[in-house]
Amino acid sequence: MFEPTEIPTPDHPEEAFAAVVALRRLSARLERSAVDHALEQGWTWSQIGQALGMTAQAAHKRLAPHRRGLLD
Amino acid sequence: MGIRQAITDIRMMNSLFTTAEAQAAELGDELPGAEHLLLAVLAGPDDSGRRAFATFGVTAAQVRTAIADTHTLALQSVGIDPTLADRAGADRTGAAAAPTGPYRSTGGLQEVFQRAVALSKEGGSRGHTLRAAHVVRAVSEVEHGTVSLAFRRLGLDRLELQEAARRAISSPAAD
Repeated sequence: MFEPTEIPTPDHPEEAFAAVVALRRLSARLERSAVDHALEQGWTWSQIGQALGMTAQAAHKRLAPHRRGLLD
Repeated sequence: MGIRQAITDIRMMNSLFTTAEAQAAELGDELPGAEHLLLAVLAGPDDSGRRAFATFGVTAAQVRTAIADTHTLALQSVGIDPTLADRAGADRTGAAAAPTGPYRSTGGLQEVFQRAVALSKEGGSRGHTLRAAHVVRAVSEVEHGTVSLAFRRLGLDRLELQEAARRAISSPAAD
């Protein structure tokens, strides 16, 4: 079901950092999209925070559509 | 620096950073980085940056593709289907958030912009004009990161690109 793959090892920093950047982009994109859908479906910031392992305030501060990017 | 030069610089910065934000949003990035600043100058009216790349037969579209491919290959290197990135929010990108307040960007963009401005002041002549090729030269000085990898994918040598950018700056604009 899950096929392990070889990932760049830390002793190849150039490849490893490129993978980190790409994963960070994917993660951020998935997070933004999921929050947008959750809000449309009526989730509260408290629920979103719970799902992401943070407080409602932290989730809102970082992920509210009008605030995105301000704290990065 | 005179007030007129300061106003010109601020107008140019506003225009460049706004375009860089748009480029970032189009590529699904929340904050503009050095790669988006590069794409912004290559899309602008000053053709000096495009001429630097044309020295090696490379177009702005190819630079953009190489940047996207760099991320695609990096995802594949950790066993992730790159089309997942498209599915993970293709309908909502950073563009969804209307930019308000001060410009937001990564440190990489800020460093490249500051270096480009410093390059534009070289020579000590009265006043200066930031050209697209100054940004190309500044970004090609960066040894690591997305742009560096994209240049490598395009077969570009950073030192040769810096020299081509320097020549493009000193030659007159086509328009």
